[in-house]
Amino acid sequence: MQALEQEIKKLVIETLNLEDITPDDIDPAAPLFVEGLGLDSIDALELGLALQKTYGVAMKSDSQENRRHFASVRALADFVSAHRKA
Amino acid sequence: MMRRRVDRLGRIALQAAYTCQRDAPPCPGVFASRYGEMGRSVELLETLARAEPLSPTSFSLSVHNAMGALFSIARGDTTAYSAVAAGAETVEAAFVEACGLLADGAPEVQLVVYDEPLPRPFDSFTERRMVPHAWACRVRAAQAGSGVTLTCHGVDGDAPRAEPGDLEDDLAVLRFLVGGAAAYDHAVGSRLWRWRRDV
Repeated sequence: MQALEQEIKKLVIETLNLEDITPDDIDPAAPLFVEGLGLDSIDALELGLALQKTYGVAMKSDSQENRRHFASVRALADFVSAHRKA
Repeated sequence: MMRRRVDRLGRIALQAAYTCQRDAPPCPGVFASRYGEMGRSVELLETLARAEPLSPTSFSLSVHNAMGALFSIARGDTTAYSAVAAGAETVEAAFVEACGLLADGAPEVQLVVYDEPLPRPFDSFTERRMVPHAWACRVRAAQAGSGVTLTCHGVDGDAPRAEPGDLEDDLAVLRFLVGGAAAYDHAVGSRLWRWRRDV
């Protein structure tokens, strides 16, 4: 799981063009949006698309559920490992 | 956190905007670009043609007013701004827009002009060599006899087609504005734009 978390951190950095941030700077348990990394709704869409392309996981339109999956890198890793096709 | 989303032309444009703005009070802005971020549009269209999903970030920035919007959002400035594109007359249209805002009561208007070379497959439409560039200035009503006048004239009959100058249209205007020349005439189709320095 730690390897997947590391992989997702890299995906987040590359997909969102985060400048001057390395995977080690991201706390896997910290919030990704608003607080923590300070990402916004466009980032969420961009990240959803990248996860879909990379792992074949599709987000549902249920916003409560998505909120949970996108809470942190750790939550994303849990979601991906449960649903990945690739 | 917003800079990471902005490509080359946007960065150049916003650099000019921020440099011109400095600590001055917010004022209405006019963002003028003949072609805007055409590279982004081409990329989006190519993605569509391959039936692949579009990048939401790129899509959100593919509108002509994207740079004005970012400048406004990043600074939390709710002053009005507009985006202008008017072919070879883009700068003249931008100054007309600025004059409209001044006439409407704005004490000052910030103008940002930016363009970059057209990407393939549109690059064959350019008349001359283009370079990525941006410039900005603040426009205010002149004291009597110390400003610049811009007028537009209809040209009767077949006006001799103007030779494309050595500079891009907006840069030719910039050269007039910062140089010492008394006049600059810019013929576009059946219109003649006359820039004059008041003396």
